[in-house]
Amino acid sequence: MHMANDEARWVAQASAGDAAAFRHLVDAHANALFRVCARITRDNALAEDAVQEALFNAYRHLREFDGRSAFSTWLHRIAVNAALEQMRKRHRVEDALPETDDGEEFHAAAFDAAPGPDREATSAAIGRDIAHQLSRMSAIERTAFVLRHHEGCSIEEISAALSLSESASKQAIFRAVRKLRSALEPIDTVD
Amino acid sequence: MHTISDDDLVLYHYRDGLDAARIAQIRDALSASADLRERYASLEGLLARADAEPVPEPGADFSARLWQKLEPRLEMRRVEKRAPWRDALDTLHAWLTPPRLAFAGACAIALAVGIGFHAGRQSASNAPLVASAAADAAGARVLDAYVAAHLRATEGVLMTASNSDSADLLGGNRELAAQLVEANRLYALAAARAGNTQLADFLRQIEPVLISLANPSPSASVQPSEGLREYLKATDLMFQVRAAEARLDRNGTHRT
Repeated sequence: MHMANDEARWVAQASAGDAAAFRHLVDAHANALFRVCARITRDNALAEDAVQEALFNAYRHLREFDGRSAFSTWLHRIAVNAALEQMRKRHRVEDALPETDDGEEFHAAAFDAAPGPDREATSAAIGRDIAHQLSRMSAIERTAFVLRHHEGCSIEEISAALSLSESASKQAIFRAVRKLRSALEPIDTVD
Repeated sequence: MHTISDDDLVLYHYRDGLDAARIAQIRDALSASADLRERYASLEGLLARADAEPVPEPGADFSARLWQKLEPRLEMRRVEKRAPWRDALDTLHAWLTPPRLAFAGACAIALAVGIGFHAGRQSASNAPLVASAAADAAGARVLDAYVAAHLRATEGVLMTASNSDSADLLGGNRELAAQLVEANRLYALAAARAGNTQLADFLRQIEPVLISLANPSPSASVQPSEGLREYLKATDLMFQVRAAEARLDRNGTHRT
């Protein structure tokens, strides 16, 4: 409660041009923004750039923050777009696998990544598989999944953040889950 | 018989994107079917394992490093905002959105620049030079600020067109692009009349892109984005739009 009051005051002061107040907001949110940006970009340097751009954009548009959503939600939305923008700048969006609902590619990926019988399913190995599959997803699939699964955003919020319809957001999450499944489940359990 | 798909189970897991009736239906089906329970347990296991990846953490001094880079940019922004004409322009521009009004604004500016240019020629011998220079500078500032806002809208249209696969959004984007085409032409005209041929040429370069976004070929269906992405990549147009925008913002600051 106290923190929320402080934050509201910092937002008001920062939008009036108070840099010290904005510094408080940066300190309070930078790490969380980094985490979401790093999960989207899969690259710490890009994530840092994205956070910087997001905070600068937030500063420029602070007056437009109307308080209808939490400040952190507003900031996260800006950060998600900044992360996607950083990837676009480095042409990473196109480098990701093409989006598809085609089962053929899904099964091909499953064969490719299915764990061998001799591999121990240690959490480190699973973590590596997850990381590998996340990096193979398209930026939109990964972002939608990260926002839904790790950030707890609703599909409505994801749609707003990504400028997608709710149906397109759902499809992006479904594709992401299928790709994860292809990495983590043996092929005979995939239906 | 599987009336409940894996996709339904994903939404059920997050309790999101399903109406209450569908949630109740899935819950009942889970109670009734061991097969479905097995599929759901497998999904829950998969999603739980997705948490196995380590949480990315920034370096210890991240916040301080970030602030070191941000502070000079914020200071620059504050200096820009102090420019006395900015508030008036912001208010005027807020007034002139949505785009149809921006188009009207573009007409007015093109007309004003045209009249100013014409009047300047007629009275060149009599008008005091200082007053004329001041009027020119004010006109250029107004034009710069409006074209910068126009380029921001153009950037938004390009980004939406190249990244969105929502038919609704792309439909709205097409309308916006159509409105920007007309404003773009008038801004190019105004820039040319004001003697800013570089800006006029750049705006003319954007026009065909806006026209093609406003009038996609029927075969492009709802996803013309691939070709556009390729084009943006090949021409670096997005970067050029942003650079022009930044240049105009800087010009506005320097002229005050």
